[in-house]
Amino acid sequence: MVDFLFELGVEEVPASEIKNIVFQLKDNFQTKLAETLVKFKSIEISATNRRFVIYISEISEKADDKEEQILGPSKKISIDENGQPTIALKKFMEFNNVILSDIVEIETKKGLYLCIHKVTEGPKAYDILCNIIPEILGKLTFSKTMLWNESRVSFIRPIRNILCLLNNQLIELEFAGIKSSKFINGHTTLSESLIEISSFKDYIEQLNKNFVIVKEKERDEKIINEITEVEYDLDVDVKIDDEMLNYYIYNNEYPVVFTGNFNKKYLELPSEIISTFMIKEKKLLPVYDKNNNLLNTFVGVSNIPDENHFVSNGNEKVIQATFEDAKFFWDNDLKDNFINLRENLKKVKFQNDLGTFFDKTERLNYLIELLVKETNNNHMYENIKQASCLCKNDLVTRMVREFPSLQGIMGGLYLKEMDSEEDLWKSVYGHYEPKGYTDKKLDHIGAGILSIADKIDNIAGFVSKGIKVSSSKDPYGIRRDANAIIKVIIDFKMNFDLFKLIKLAAEKFTENAGDQKKLVSQLQKLFLSRIENIFRDLLNFRYDVVNSIINSHDILFAYKSFLKAKDVSKIVETDSINLLITLHKRLKNIIKGFNTFFISENLLMGDEEKILFEIYKESKTEITELILSDNYIQACSKIIEMKPVIDNYFEKVLIMAEDNKIKENRIALLQKLYELLSKITDFSLIIESN
Amino acid sequence: MSLQNTIIKLQEFWSQNGCYIASGYDTEVGAGTMTPDTFFKVLGKKHWEVAFWQPSRRPDDGRYAKNPNRVQKHNQFQVILKPAPDNGQSLFLKSLNHLGIDIRSHDIKFDEDNWASPSIGAWGVGWQVMCDGLEITQFTYFQQAGGIELNPNSLEITYGLERLAMFLDKRNNIYNLKWGHNVSYSELRTEEEKQFSIYNFEVANIDFLRNIFDQYKNEAERLIESNLYLPAYDYVLKCSHTFNILDARKAISTAERTTLIKTMRDLSYNIAKKYINGAEKKNG
Repeated sequence: MVDFLFELGVEEVPASEIKNIVFQLKDNFQTKLAETLVKFKSIEISATNRRFVIYISEISEKADDKEEQILGPSKKISIDENGQPTIALKKFMEFNNVILSDIVEIETKKGLYLCIHKVTEGPKAYDILCNIIPEILGKLTFSKTMLWNESRVSFIRPIRNILCLLNNQLIELEFAGIKSSKFINGHTTLSESLIEISSFKDYIEQLNKNFVIVKEKERDEKIINEITEVEYDLDVDVKIDDEMLNYYIYNNEYPVVFTGNFNKKYLELPSEIISTFMIKEKKLLPVYDKNNNLLNTFVGVSNIPDENHFVSNGNEKVIQATFEDAKFFWDNDLKDNFINLRENLKKVKFQNDLGTFFDKTERLNYLIELLVKETNNNHMYENIKQASCLCKNDLVTRMVREFPSLQGIMGGLYLKEMDSEEDLWKSVYGHYEPKGYTDKKLDHIGAGILSIADKIDNIAGFVSKGIKVSSSKDPYGIRRDANAIIKVIIDFKMNFDLFKLIKLAAEKFTENAGDQKKLVSQLQKLFLSRIENIFRDLLNFRYDVVNSIINSHDILFAYKSFLKAKDVSKIVETDSINLLITLHKRLKNIIKGFNTFFISENLLMGDEEKILFEIYKESKTEITELILSDNYIQACSKIIEMKPVIDNYFEKVLIMAEDNKIKENRIALLQKLYELLSKITDFSLIIESN
Repeated sequence: MSLQNTIIKLQEFWSQNGCYIASGYDTEVGAGTMTPDTFFKVLGKKHWEVAFWQPSRRPDDGRYAKNPNRVQKHNQFQVILKPAPDNGQSLFLKSLNHLGIDIRSHDIKFDEDNWASPSIGAWGVGWQVMCDGLEITQFTYFQQAGGIELNPNSLEITYGLERLAMFLDKRNNIYNLKWGHNVSYSELRTEEEKQFSIYNFEVANIDFLRNIFDQYKNEAERLIESNLYLPAYDYVLKCSHTFNILDARKAISTAERTTLIKTMRDLSYNIAKKYINGAEKKNG
C-alpha cells in the first residue's frame, strides 16, 4: 500500500470556478480508478486558487488481476472422432497462447462449448496513474478557457507546476508542456523559491510553513471565526453571503480578516448603493449596527497578516475613492427627470428580437391588469400600473450601466427621492426579485405583482423564440424565472389561475390562434414541471403525494396546490390514508370504461342505495366548500365519515344489475362519488402505508 | 516616489529584462492595448518584447478634477512579452520590488478580470492586480486580436501609473502627486481635466462627432482597399476615440452602440488580415 499525492499548481483560478473543478476531479479520479481496478482507502481533494490537491491514501501498488473467460468453439467442432483437437480448436489455442490442459468445457444455451479462464496480471499503479492523470486533466471542462504556451492545451488558467508522488517516488508525466516534479510553489508573495516535497505529511508541513492553508474547511473556519470576533469586539453585524464567503475562501491561501473605516459623509448615500459598491467593486463587507443601520466600517479579507495595517489603510483610501464615484453617478442621475427616461427605452433593445424595453413596459402594463384584479389589489392599481411603465427606466441611468445588479433597486430609489408614493417606488424597487425559489420573500406585494408580470413576459418571449430549457442548460433563466413566479404566488398567498396569465402573456408573442395554442401548451408544461420539481425537491413533499396532486385539474392554481400538498402530506401520515386509497382505487376500477351517466332518483332501488345518495348530496356541498376554502383535511374526514355507508352499499348492492338502466344509475352514483374524491386529489397514485 | 520616477524605474526594469523601450503612440487611444506596438505585434509568430509609457484617454472617466483617483486621461505603462514567458508572474512581482514595494507586507492579489476590446476584436484572459485593494495593474494573456487567434500568446502587463505612484508616495488624492522635481500633477493636469470633462460630458458637438466618425470610417475603408493598413488603423483609433466621446455625451443608444462597435470591429478584422498577409509575404 502506498499514498498518492498530486498537486496541480496554477496561476490564480477564479474563485467561482473552483468548486466545479474539484467536483470533476473527484468524480473523474474515482471513475478512472474503479475502471482500472486500482483499490484505495480514501480520496481527498482540496483546492485554493493556486493549487488543486489530490491525496489518495493506501492505494494498492498494482491493479487487481483481471480474470476473464474466453469462449472458444463448440465442443462438437473442436474434437474430432478420434478425440483429437480439430483445426478450429488448435487455432483458438494458438491465438490465446494456451495449451490443451488450459481448456475447460462449459455448458451454454447453445450446448457444450470449450473455453479458457485467462488471468491478466494487473498493471502497476504507477503506470496507471501516469496514463490516467493527463487524461483526467484533459477532460476537465470550464466555463471559459485560455491558451498560454506552446503546448496549445486549453485550460482555465496557466498550469505552472505538477507535483506527483507515489509515496516518495516521483511519477513522471507531462501535461500542457509541464513535466511533473517533486517541487511546489508556496504563497504568491510570502514564499520565494520552489519547495521540495518528500511525502504527504511533509507537504502539509511545508505549506503551513509557507503560508498556505490548503484545506478549504480550515480557511472557512478561520475567516468565520475572525469575522465573529470583529462582530463581538465592535458589537456589530457583518453581513456575508455564500458568494462572498466562497470568494474569500478560494481567493486567499492565507486568509486574514481586517477592518477599516471611511468618512461618515458617504453614509448620506442610500445604503443599497454603498453596500453594492463595497461588495462588487472592492470585495469588502458592509457592517451594520444591531438595529441594522449601515456603519462607516468595513470588513475585508487579506492574503497576508496585516501587522502594519498597510492592507487596512490602503483599503480605506480605495473605498473612499469608490464612494466618490458612487456619489458622482447618483448626483448625475438625479439631474435627469427619471419619469422622462422612459422615452429613451425606445432605443434600448430587449433580448432576441423581442422589441425594445419600451415595448416590454407596455406588455407589463397590460399584464398587471389581470394580476391586480385576480389578487384583489385594486386599491394599488394606479401605483402598480405606473410602476409597470417606469420600472425599466433605470436601465438608462449611469448607475445601472455601471452596476447592472442595481437594476430595479435604483429605479425604486430614484422614485423615492422624487417623493413618489410608497406603493409605486417599492413595486419598482423589488421587481427583479426573487431570482429563484430559494431567495427571500419580497416585502411588498406590488413588487410581487410586477415581478410576476416581468418574469412571465420573459418566459413567454423566450419560449416563443424557440429557446429551450434542458436539464443542464438554461441560459435565459427560464426555469429560474418560473420558480420565482411560483415563489411569489405562494409567499403572497395569491389565489389565481396561472393558466389565465400564461394565455395573456402568450397573446403578445404570437400572431395566430394556432401559434398561441402551441405556446400556451408549452408554457403550461413548463409550469407543471416547475411546480412538481419545487414541491418534490425544494419543499420535500413525498413524491407520491406530488404525483397525485400534479394530476389535479386545478394544479395551476399554484397556491391552492401548495396548500393541498401540505394537507395531503399530513393525511398520508394518518391511518385514514389507506381507506382513501382503497376507496379511490375501487371506485376507479368499477367505473372504468363507462360513459358518464346521470342519476335519476326514481331508479334508486334499495335503502342502501337511497341512503348513500342522500348522504352524498349532503356531503357534496359541504366537501366542495371545504375544498374551495382549502381545507383538505376536513374534506377527507367528511369522506371517511361516509365510508361505512359506502361499504354497506358495496356489500349489499349488486352494481352490475341485470337491468341496464339500474346498472347505469348505480354506476352514475359511483361516478359522482369518484368525482368528489378526485377533487381532493388522485389518491390512487399514493403508496399505501404498512 | 514621483510619477516621473515610477516611469523611469519601470523602463529600467523592463529594459534590463530584455524589452525594447518604445515611445507611446501619438494618436488618442483608450489603452496601451490599442497601440500599433501591441495590436499588430501580438499577431503572427515573431517574438516581441516591448515596454512603453502610454497616455490613455477615457472620456467617460472624467470627473471635473474632483475625484481622488479617476481622470479622463491617465497614464499607463505597457509591457508586451511575446511569447508569454513561464515566469511572467514572478517577473511582474520583481518589478514591484524594483519600484520599492515590499510585496511581503502588502496584500497583492490576482483577481479575475478578463478584458475584451470588442472594437478591435481583441480579448484576453487574466487578472487585475490589486495591492491593498487598489487596482495597480492589468495582467493578461492575450488570446485574440483583430479577430485572429494568437499563436504564440503574448503576456500583456499594463500598469496604472497614477495608481502606482499614489501608492508609492502614500497619496490619497491623484492631484497631490508629484510628477517630477518641482512639477505637481495638479499643476499639470487640473485645468485639463476640468476642461475636458466639460467638453466630453456637456459641450461636445454630437452632430459634428457623428459626422467625423463616418468620415474616419470611410477613410479607413479606402486605405484598407489600398493595402495601407497602418494608416487605416490610425483611423480606426480615431473612430474609437470619437465613439468614446459620443458615449460620454450619452449620445449613443444601446442598439446604435452594437452597430458602431461592429463597424470598428469589421475594420480591425480587415486590417489584421492585411497585416498578417503582408507579414507572411515579407517572411517568404
